[in-house]
Amino acid sequence: MTSELITTRTGAAPTRPPGNLLSRRNPTIKLALLFIVSLVLMFIFDPITPLVLYLLALGAIAATARIPVKAFVLAHIPFLAFALGLLIVNALSRPGDVLWQAGALRVTTEGLLVGAALALRTLVIGVLSIGFVLSTDGVALMTSLHQHARLGSRLTYAVLAGYRMLEDLPREWQTIRHAHAVRVPLRANGKPPRSLRQYGRAAFALLVLSIRKGERMAQSLESRGLGLTPRSTWRRIPLTRTDWAMAAAVLTVLGVVVGLSALLGVLRGYQVLG
Amino acid sequence: MRPDLSRPASAHNKRWSLKDLVLVVVLGVVFGFLYWIFVQAWTALSIAMGPAGDLAQHFLLGSWLLVAPIAIAIVRRPFAGIFAEVIASVIEVVFLGSMVGPLLFVGAAIQGAGSEIPFALTRYRNYSWRTYALSGLLGAGLVFFYSAFRSGWYGQEIFLLRLAIQLISGVIIGGLFAKIIVDALDKTGVVDNFAIGRDRLARA
Repeated sequence: MTSELITTRTGAAPTRPPGNLLSRRNPTIKLALLFIVSLVLMFIFDPITPLVLYLLALGAIAATARIPVKAFVLAHIPFLAFALGLLIVNALSRPGDVLWQAGALRVTTEGLLVGAALALRTLVIGVLSIGFVLSTDGVALMTSLHQHARLGSRLTYAVLAGYRMLEDLPREWQTIRHAHAVRVPLRANGKPPRSLRQYGRAAFALLVLSIRKGERMAQSLESRGLGLTPRSTWRRIPLTRTDWAMAAAVLTVLGVVVGLSALLGVLRGYQVLG
Repeated sequence: MRPDLSRPASAHNKRWSLKDLVLVVVLGVVFGFLYWIFVQAWTALSIAMGPAGDLAQHFLLGSWLLVAPIAIAIVRRPFAGIFAEVIASVIEVVFLGSMVGPLLFVGAAIQGAGSEIPFALTRYRNYSWRTYALSGLLGAGLVFFYSAFRSGWYGQEIFLLRLAIQLISGVIIGGLFAKIIVDALDKTGVVDNFAIGRDRLARA
């Protein structure tokens, strides 16, 4: 992130961002594709279709994004945990053919199938999100949305200022926690209390501090002429034929997989939930 | 007919001032960050709780609604609630890497719309406990059907239990607690230069 910021500040030429195949793609196109795939998946309720899509997405991202294996696996953990939760809850809480029973707990075939479908859907969206987040710079995304998706300049720069603020928040949070720790009565073991109340106080202080900072930010943005037209962009984000080719490829694969799945009679829609 | 003074001063000009815009972004950033800390703690807990964690997390659903009523109460403009929710979701998805992915934008917009309707019906004038409570109720109620579709809750035996827990949480955390935060912020004086402060001066 820091190196990216430094290059943004020093080199204003419209150069291609460095890195691998996926990180060179246009951020707006990537976000739009992620959105479309997620939307289509919302209407698919069989386990096979998302499984195929997951394997394809995994392969495509591994081939184009060069994410270290360890980072890739670690990023999967929250999605896997969430998917596992979905599988268990649905297996246990849906009526249908009883597969296994022990007291009040019973697993049904229908529940297991729906649970697997939802779990795999989480994994598809998860692997695509990992690919997106690890290959996209936040500043480049906002600039690209401004250039290619007609996001207004005032909103774009307000969000970018917010992004800078976000980077500082962990430090502010620590400072506030330390300042509070100095003043609170200590516990018997000599350590500051770690109650929910203390966290709440720190969160409120952070909110007040940020609102005050935001007001100053708005003033300085305005005093530097934000909102005047025409607006020039320092470092333009390229939108090339390769980006459109990627979009076409992703949508074609999605269409072919869903189409084949429907043709083979595997595809199940919303009616599965009954 | 009430005197014109009582109308929020900002309702006159249509274009958002940069100050209001930045405030809503700041609220989105701070809540996005606090949610992120919260989710970290929560994920660990819900893994430990196993399948019960899926249901238990509904008790805290209202906390996702907070940013909308707070933004509306401070800037008192149409669409402030929807806008604040969507910005917070963008921060979560794009900068913090949320699990839900970009479908969160849709959920956030629905949630914001639900929270905003009660305030819009009073034409952004009434900020009583009742309006906040209704805001939390509608915020939670509207988005429930979207989440239920997205997560496949229909047809589950605990469907109504989920709805009940979420509505209660919406009213208490997403409604009443929002008023507590707004009143506390108002008392500190940081929001004096916004519509909420101007309205207080106009009334005084």
